[in-house]
Amino acid sequence: MSCTVRIASPLRSYTAGAAMLAARGSTLAEVLANLEQRCPGIRFRMIDEHNRIRPHMRLFVNAGEARELSATVRDGDTVHVICALSGG
Amino acid sequence: MTLSASERERYQRHLTLVEIGAAGQEKLKAARVLVVGAGGLGSPAALYLAAAGCGTLGLLDCDRVELSNLQRQVLFDSSAIARSKAEAGRERLASLNPEIRVVAHALELKAANVRAVFKDYDLVLDGTDRLATRYLVNDACVILGLPLVSAAIHRFEGQVMTYVPGQGPCYRCVFPQAPEGGVANCAQAGVLGVLPGVLGTLQATEAIKLITGVGDPLTGRLLTYDALEMRFHEFRVARRPDCAVCGTAPTITEPRDPAAPPATAGVRRLTAAALSELLHDAGGKAPLLVDVREVAEYAAGHLEGSVNIPLGQLPQRIAELAPDAAPVFICRSGGRSLAACQVALAAQIASPANLEGGLLAWSAAMDPTLRVL
Repeated sequence: MSCTVRIASPLRSYTAGAAMLAARGSTLAEVLANLEQRCPGIRFRMIDEHNRIRPHMRLFVNAGEARELSATVRDGDTVHVICALSGG
Repeated sequence: MTLSASERERYQRHLTLVEIGAAGQEKLKAARVLVVGAGGLGSPAALYLAAAGCGTLGLLDCDRVELSNLQRQVLFDSSAIARSKAEAGRERLASLNPEIRVVAHALELKAANVRAVFKDYDLVLDGTDRLATRYLVNDACVILGLPLVSAAIHRFEGQVMTYVPGQGPCYRCVFPQAPEGGVANCAQAGVLGVLPGVLGTLQATEAIKLITGVGDPLTGRLLTYDALEMRFHEFRVARRPDCAVCGTAPTITEPRDPAAPPATAGVRRLTAAALSELLHDAGGKAPLLVDVREVAEYAAGHLEGSVNIPLGQLPQRIAELAPDAAPVFICRSGGRSLAACQVALAAQIASPANLEGGLLAWSAAMDPTLRVL
């Protein structure tokens, strides 16, 4: 399965500035593992040591929120990584 | 609350809109709106609310105008530099629309004063640049039953959502907790000047809709905007029954200041400058530097001579550190290294030190070439 991952602005230091990346996987866990291979360190900014989504991060598959890493990702989906922003 | 002849002329374009008309304009005149943060977001939000005839407009900010603000904070001009933002903003808004009442709150919002300030308002707009204040504003609005329009920005990206008591998720439902190391603000990360113009104007739009009762508010939806892609995205967000403030069994029942950092008794606190001094003065006996970030973070860039023991492995590998090693723990922003100090203390390792602000602080103060993921 191939999907697109849209990266929150504060995490783009891991993606050489890229906002969108292609990734493979049929669950959110697989997609993030695939992303980690190409952008080492990025997964830990989203997922903590206990495999929980960090409380200032939200992950969406298309427009619907995914609260578990077992969430299904289908071919052509977009995974959005959203981060709490603080600038005003 | 009827409109005077001059008001009818001033707001004529609103009166022409059947969705607003005289009844909506009178609601705007009766409205009391507080704008928290007179910065990039608060500037356009306050200007448009003043122009729209919002009858009472509060402007809260404890800072003074700086030259670097003027790239985006359109409430101020060059003559306002060094003046209180709340006061200079109040004058500008009163000049724009003398028909309204503008109140300056030149103070820092705290748990101790938030009730006293918020009690005079019916609606709050949050445009502050401190994450801790965002949680304080959200919690106070939930507890006091006030609607809140919250927005935030970073570089070329922004997000906005509306909370209406009893009708949807609050900010804490969406982001339950701030990250330990904080999130970069505009001063640290930079921001496209026009970006808060877009988001602040959306906040004003939401406020006007809530006051007049027209349209669909942005409740239960997080709207994001990417200026580079020129795209908006909308995400459905649900209320969390276990939300600490608006959930079914809330643990936050009074506005509170951010929790104090974990206990640091027995931990030496080192600033980047202090660590640099320590490294240079050490001679042949350099301190043991333990980098507790993940392997990939360490691989991207680290301090010379440091060893890598990820925080998750530290309890199992603590025997690698001698009891009198007096290690200096290092991480990205100082949160994980402080936790590492606690692990070391529990293992009877004397005098562990924490690099405060982590490698981000080191990079800013000592070595901008250091790559910190």
